[in-house]
Amino acid sequence: MTELVRSMTTAMRFDFDFKTYGPFLALLALIILGTLVNPAFVSEANMTNMLTRSAFIGIIAVGATFVITAGGIDLSVGSMAAFIAGIMIIIMNTLLGTLGVGWLTILTGMALSVVIGFAAGMINGLVTTRGKIEAFIVTLGTMGIYRSLVTYFADGGTLSLDFSIREIYRPIYYDAVLGIPYPVLAFALVAVAGYVVLNKTRFGRHCFAIGSNEHVAKYSAIHVNRVKTLTYVLQGICVSIATIIYVPRLGSASASTGVLWELEAIAAVIIGGTVLKGGYGRIWGTVVGAIMLTMIGNILNLTDAISNYLNGTVQGAIIIVAVLLQRGNWRRKK
Amino acid sequence: MDGNRQDQNKTILRVKGINKAFGSIQVLFGIDFDVRPGEVHALLGENGAGKSTLVKILSGYLQPTSGTIDVAGRSIELTDSSVGEDQGIVLIHQEFNLAEQLTVEENIFLGREAFRSCFLDKRLMQARSRELLQELQCDIDPDTRVQDLSVSDKQMVEIAKAISRDARVLIMDEPTAVLTTKEVKVLFRLINELKRTGVGIVYISHKLDEIEAIADRVTILRDGHHITTDRTDNLKPDDMARLMVGRGLNDMFPERPPLGGDADVVLKVDNLSVPGHVMDASLELHKGEVLGFAGLIGAGRTALMEAIVGLRERSGGKIFRHGQEACIRSLGDASDLRMAYLTKDRKGCGLLMQMQLRPNLTLLALDQYGRYLIDEERESKALSKAIEEFDIRVGDVSATAGTLSGGNQQKLLLAKIMQIDPEVIIIDEPTRGIDVGTKHQIYMFINELTRQGKSLILISSEMQEIIGLCDRVVVMRSGFVTGTLSGDEIEEHEIMRYATGLKGVERDDRISA
Amino acid sequence: MKLKTTMIAAAAAIALSLPGLAAAKEITTIGVSIPAPTHGWAQGMNWHAKQAKKRLELAYPGLKIILELASDPSDQANDLEDMVSVHKIDGLVILPFESEPLTDPVLRVKKTGAFITVVDRGLSQPGIEDIYVAGNNPELGTISANYIKGRLNNKGDIVVLRGIPTTIDDERVAAFLEGIKGTNIKVLDMKHANWNRDDGFEVMQDFLARFPKIDAVWAQDDDIAIGVMEAVKQAKREKDMFIVGGAGMKGIIKRVMDGDPLIPVDVLYPPAMIATAMDVTVARFMSNGPVSGRYILGSPLITKENAKSYYFPDSPF
Repeated sequence: MTELVRSMTTAMRFDFDFKTYGPFLALLALIILGTLVNPAFVSEANMTNMLTRSAFIGIIAVGATFVITAGGIDLSVGSMAAFIAGIMIIIMNTLLGTLGVGWLTILTGMALSVVIGFAAGMINGLVTTRGKIEAFIVTLGTMGIYRSLVTYFADGGTLSLDFSIREIYRPIYYDAVLGIPYPVLAFALVAVAGYVVLNKTRFGRHCFAIGSNEHVAKYSAIHVNRVKTLTYVLQGICVSIATIIYVPRLGSASASTGVLWELEAIAAVIIGGTVLKGGYGRIWGTVVGAIMLTMIGNILNLTDAISNYLNGTVQGAIIIVAVLLQRGNWRRKK
Repeated sequence: MDGNRQDQNKTILRVKGINKAFGSIQVLFGIDFDVRPGEVHALLGENGAGKSTLVKILSGYLQPTSGTIDVAGRSIELTDSSVGEDQGIVLIHQEFNLAEQLTVEENIFLGREAFRSCFLDKRLMQARSRELLQELQCDIDPDTRVQDLSVSDKQMVEIAKAISRDARVLIMDEPTAVLTTKEVKVLFRLINELKRTGVGIVYISHKLDEIEAIADRVTILRDGHHITTDRTDNLKPDDMARLMVGRGLNDMFPERPPLGGDADVVLKVDNLSVPGHVMDASLELHKGEVLGFAGLIGAGRTALMEAIVGLRERSGGKIFRHGQEACIRSLGDASDLRMAYLTKDRKGCGLLMQMQLRPNLTLLALDQYGRYLIDEERESKALSKAIEEFDIRVGDVSATAGTLSGGNQQKLLLAKIMQIDPEVIIIDEPTRGIDVGTKHQIYMFINELTRQGKSLILISSEMQEIIGLCDRVVVMRSGFVTGTLSGDEIEEHEIMRYATGLKGVERDDRISA
Repeated sequence: MKLKTTMIAAAAAIALSLPGLAAAKEITTIGVSIPAPTHGWAQGMNWHAKQAKKRLELAYPGLKIILELASDPSDQANDLEDMVSVHKIDGLVILPFESEPLTDPVLRVKKTGAFITVVDRGLSQPGIEDIYVAGNNPELGTISANYIKGRLNNKGDIVVLRGIPTTIDDERVAAFLEGIKGTNIKVLDMKHANWNRDDGFEVMQDFLARFPKIDAVWAQDDDIAIGVMEAVKQAKREKDMFIVGGAGMKGIIKRVMDGDPLIPVDVLYPPAMIATAMDVTVARFMSNGPVSGRYILGSPLITKENAKSYYFPDSPF
């Protein structure tokens, strides 16, 4: 009996830590799957395309990690991205006349994009905290507002960036330094910064505390409302950064820009192991989650083995399995 | 060991040399325990002594790390609670395991329903339920929903359910905790009835008088060790208490030198009001003093303290620190003035249960751990220091706060508020729900703090604590301060008179005016 | 009892005839019900509807047009009920969200005596509409197939980007595949890009990663074509292939007009068909000639030579 118990304990010590490495495992499985499906999957061009694509959702999801860790939720990010993209295009087209065709116009557009993102996040945060309304409802509301505003500005159509300015702006999406495309670089920088802020600073610790138990946070002299509002502001800034690299891709924004990005961002966060009800978050998990989501779409595009109509099924199944991998208790129940 | 063979025949359940460890923490050390048919065997011990763990091992909910279990003389492995039940060992939980929405009959037969072809044999089950309940001399209708039953009736149903499974050993974990005196009598009658039919009963309780009344034998555990097993007749309640705690009851409170009359006033509150809770409360706290706050629950003591440290809105009043008026709008302001508040709601407001000890310890004083980035090494050092200083018993420092026992959580919470190095410490019900040993430790901490020149306000609903620890006592009633007692006035009856409104009546007149 | 029924019937007849009389003398109300824009073509259609409303109301002082956008089929059915009960419409122009669920609601409008014009998507029961105005989805597929066949000399590898999975998409793709049948043109793969630029970009990126040799892309829609174009440019494979879109978006027509080798042609599927439908419906009330029948707008091939006549720089689409 004693012998048996002892050998069991030793065996358990070598158990794989699914909770921590689950997302990586799922990612690895996907990479293997992708390679099997089509060798073109691992080609440099495809990998670069995929990482670049994942940058939008990834950057937004880094912001969402903060919001969700602190116990909130932001459903407005997709339409906020469309809204910011729309405003940015209008502003740059307008500035052409005064500032001319050049980087000055683009930089002004970028700066304003960050300002709008900041303000939009601030609104979400303040209405949630000061107005004491559920974040779900507040951001559901702003989601509709931003979406309809962009439709209004575009007059139901598509807002397109002026051709001349687009030629200058285009490299921000398409060019690379040392073989790393700018969007991937931006994603990496945002992720590293997010990691440091969430795990190494007081603000990050306060996010965890508020997400686990708001009362405890309050009784620990944390300015709960201030921290929560700041998470939405961070989210807004992340959305604006994502928009800055999105606009040069196709140079346009319309009512269909960024549709369902909010759900993709939330899915990336949860796949990465952050707890939806708050209190625990991890940035690197989110990064893996965002890459995985893009990868699934990519792999489906690389094969004709699966009916196009079943894409959603495959996507849904993989997401659930990925989360199961890390949540499931794979040890023998005692 | 000469009566060994005979004993074996007589016992229904016997465990020997039970060890149990969770990870690296051992909670049971070589426990021997047995139950004979038709006896009540009481299991006694402080919180954390290992009673619950032992009981779970007896009923198959947990497996021992080592040791043997014999049922009716046959060695057996209880790999699961259902194996335990098959052997006739049934545990009645403190929180009942009944499906509230189902009827009594459905609950009794839950999981072992009778069938006729493929349909439930309702008639048979009803008849059997009625029979069972009659056997227990209990007049519950089997068709009643469990949610409509009184607590004691629910317990009856639990017992009926156990008997329907042909229980030979019935384990009752604090069965009287939720019962009224009258209901306890019914339970005791039932226990005697069961004894007569040869069922062995393991009875866990804190109430020594009950044990004296009902138990045939007593086993006492302390810190996971078997202390003694003896006939109840041979032990007096006082002996039991001494054996449980390992020390007498009267040296719980440390000796305190009387406070000098000319100590500085470190905190002064004038006419503070909290809308709906407190009216015009004033107090003075001296350096090195323990100022008690007594009163009935809901008298406004917590509201007053929370208002003082900026956790609640206040509608009027002034606060002075060292004679200077202080502006406290948030808990942060209070911390800056070196005032700390230890909440009575440990789980709801005190600690982040699913987080580790380290972030819990430093949460209040996080700005001391690095200007921009948190210095985790310093945090870890602080945790080691706190674990040592406050004797926080934890097997694995990476464990979450929720895995600690109540007493250790309280010590961690105390360590947390001490991180800001406060001069004025307000502690609210610091010993609620913790065992005697830890209580004693907390009293020693309080004493040590005053010796260091810190000043304390102690809210407590335990009269012994107020009397044993405080230099002066403020009594509140319905939001008003009704009196302040000192010296020999600090005495149970006097405090109760103020707390219930028999004294300090002028105040009450003012409420109605 | 009998007397009472007769009286009610008479009263109802008077009540019903009164607004009809009044309308004939003073105001004609036409209801226009279309889906809210979810993709570029629908946006263009919305724009044309608004323009036509402005133009027609200006031209005929006695005309009132109620324009309602619906976000799903049940929403559209509600709109129809409101048009009848609140606005008492004389004519209805409807682009049904889906054929099946809207057949019955339109039939009910018909029973109030209103004149019915159905646009683009036919109802599932024949004979309800007085006028049917539609683009020609199979023709769009056939014309595209014919052009690609000609350019590639019946030989080559192509990829197809499909729209949102609907009947429209199925009809176009079926006709296209029929059109290239019997040639040596090989469809490497088909994926849905949902008439959306971002999806067009991503699907095309993956096609490019997957297939080293692509001679032509049938994007079917101009929004998809824009995404495809960017992906091709990024891969620097503009020289290897050409793209055929569809609809008639101004940006794409401009490129055709300017002779972009990547986008040599476009196939028209005019979002302005809603305006045509509104025109003929109004003509029924404002002119004396009889108006009825089916108006199938062709899907002509837009080339460098004729592009100018399909170019509307003011349209948002």
